Amino acid sequence: MEATRLERISEWIIQQVLRPTAIAGFFVLIAFLWTIPFQHSIAYPFPFLFLGAVMGSAWFGGIVSGSIAVVVSTLLIDYFLVPPLYSLSISGLSKSFFAAFTICAFAMMLVVASRRRAERAVREARDQLEARVEERTAELRQSNLELEESARRLRTLADAIPQQMWSASADGMMDYSNQHLVEALGAPLTGALPDALPRILHPVDERLVRHAWNSALADENPFEIEARIRMADGGYRWFLIRGMPQRSVDGKLARWFGIHIDIEQQHRVQQGLIEAHDELSRSARTLSLGEMAASIAHELNQPLTAVVTHAYACREWLTAGNHEKATATAERIVQESTRAGAVVKRVRALFRSDAPVRQATDMNRLVLDLVQLLRDDAARQNATIRLALADRLPMVEIDPVQVQQVMLNLAHNAMDAMDSVAAPHELTIHTRQEDSVRIRVTVEDRGPGIAADALARIFDPFFTTKSHGMGMGLAICRSIIESHDGRIWAEAAAPQGTAFHFTLPVRA
Amino acid sequence: MSQRETVFIVDDDAAIREGLSNLLEAVGVVSETFPCAEDFLRHWDPGRPGCLVLDARLPGMTGVEFQEKLNSSATHIPIIFMTAHGDVPMVRKVMKAGAIEFLTKPFEKQELLVAIEHAFAQDRARRAEDAAVAPIRARYESLTPREREVMQLVTAGLLNKQIAAELELSEIMVKVHRRNVLEKMQAESLADLVKMTERIRAVGH
Repeated sequence: MEATRLERISEWIIQQVLRPTAIAGFFVLIAFLWTIPFQHSIAYPFPFLFLGAVMGSAWFGGIVSGSIAVVVSTLLIDYFLVPPLYSLSISGLSKSFFAAFTICAFAMMLVVASRRRAERAVREARDQLEARVEERTAELRQSNLELEESARRLRTLADAIPQQMWSASADGMMDYSNQHLVEALGAPLTGALPDALPRILHPVDERLVRHAWNSALADENPFEIEARIRMADGGYRWFLIRGMPQRSVDGKLARWFGIHIDIEQQHRVQQGLIEAHDELSRSARTLSLGEMAASIAHELNQPLTAVVTHAYACREWLTAGNHEKATATAERIVQESTRAGAVVKRVRALFRSDAPVRQATDMNRLVLDLVQLLRDDAARQNATIRLALADRLPMVEIDPVQVQQVMLNLAHNAMDAMDSVAAPHELTIHTRQEDSVRIRVTVEDRGPGIAADALARIFDPFFTTKSHGMGMGLAICRSIIESHDGRIWAEAAAPQGTAFHFTLPVRA
Repeated sequence: MSQRETVFIVDDDAAIREGLSNLLEAVGVVSETFPCAEDFLRHWDPGRPGCLVLDARLPGMTGVEFQEKLNSSATHIPIIFMTAHGDVPMVRKVMKAGAIEFLTKPFEKQELLVAIEHAFAQDRARRAEDAAVAPIRARYESLTPREREVMQLVTAGLLNKQIAAELELSEIMVKVHRRNVLEKMQAESLADLVKMTERIRAVGH
């Protein structure tokens, strides 16, 4: 503490006293030495070199040094050059010369010192500027490096993610495919966004995805859709395709990012679940209705045959007077008849669940799920599915599986009906709010239509217009809808075809 | 021959088996029941007279497959088919393969009993024929291969000379074989021999 203070004082003394004094002494000494030879050869005192000494001291040593030079020079000139020589007194004649010299020297010293200060300030400012520029440049370089590094990190990350990723510029041109995508598809995605994706899709999904894409592009909204993508080996896998717009700070669309998440496994499990559910679900699917009817017939026929044969036997035993055997046989008849009755009860239970599973369901959601189920069949039968779904449809309390079976059945019927007519095979599903307590779903086809007398009976069991039908599908549909306190009916559609309507009560 | 004819019922439904056996018992017909074709084959003695009442739709081997198997093993038990829903091609197929009758469940008593009577009659006739043919067959078995060849050509109506050429034998040797055949077969004449050949053929080898 003490040492630093001492140091600071000595430093101050060196800087403010010794250095200016030394500089002033140096210049004045040189001026004096150079002036001596001229002293006797020139008539007038020759003080000009001292002016130079003052200027040099002021320039190199500052105002203190300059002042010392002025004082010392003045004294030296007075003593050696101004008569009377070798004395500090000044003769009257020399007074004005001496005063002029002193004032000039002092003024010069001030000008030089201030010039010097100004110059130093300018230099300092320039140095500072330079230093700052250098600093900025370094910073910029650093941030550039960091940016590059972060871009590289991002790309590595994108390549490391085991999903397909891509990006496209704001005008929709594909400009990046991650490694996984390239490996999976065999080539990166190129070209314009709305065309690039459908090219790699299953033909059945193509239109749906293109549609979703175009509307997402138009609205600049994110989109999400499930579809099958053709892999490099030619096989198809299910993917969740997700596209996201990235906006710049001013809110303008900057880029599109996309990711394809492999959901093949999930899809398989889900498909398996749906199939298992269908299998288990007591609501019958159109496809298995014939088989079901056959198995019901068989189930009923067995006990019936037993009853008939026992009855014949019973009559024989009675004729023969063997009451014991006759009674035992009659007992068997009762048992077998009961068994037949149980079969009938079971069949009834198939279609009219005593305690249906009810849950709040969004009918629009159910329709959209249905469309996913129907997609393959629609493609096979060359039919297009059009949806006209109501906004803000109230929830219904239903067994979603059963009601979906109804819609599935109606949709299959509609597509079958259109098989026999020329295109367009357009199937329309409407949802709308019928009134404050009901919603209505309509499945409409552009088939040949159904004759008026047949329309009235179409929901009766065993009534069919199909060559290969059992006539159970619509009967089951009616039973399901009625068990939901709804109503189902059919009418001719305009300009042609048939419309099947059903209503369901809105959730209380 | 003194054994009673039995109806062998094969149906996977116990109620049907019971109903049928009860009815047959009531009308005085002996029956035995089996839940499947494999069970029947395990317990059945082909020597026992009777007929099969077979459900066309069985677990494991179906009725139709069972019939094919029996036919290929030269077992000649008459078969009455039962089914809940017989489609025309299936009926045609089993009838062509020698089924006695095709009954659609539920069937009338009379249909069943007539079919069984018919089946029994066929079985009886076949067994009688088998019994009659048995000694002829035994005699045939005693022939040498050469004698069998000669017998075949003789009954086909060829002359000795032709037979000799066919078999590359001398006419004398053919005559010797021919006499031996007639003797061994105990045939009175050529016509008798021809008849025996036909009976053996009809029963099958």
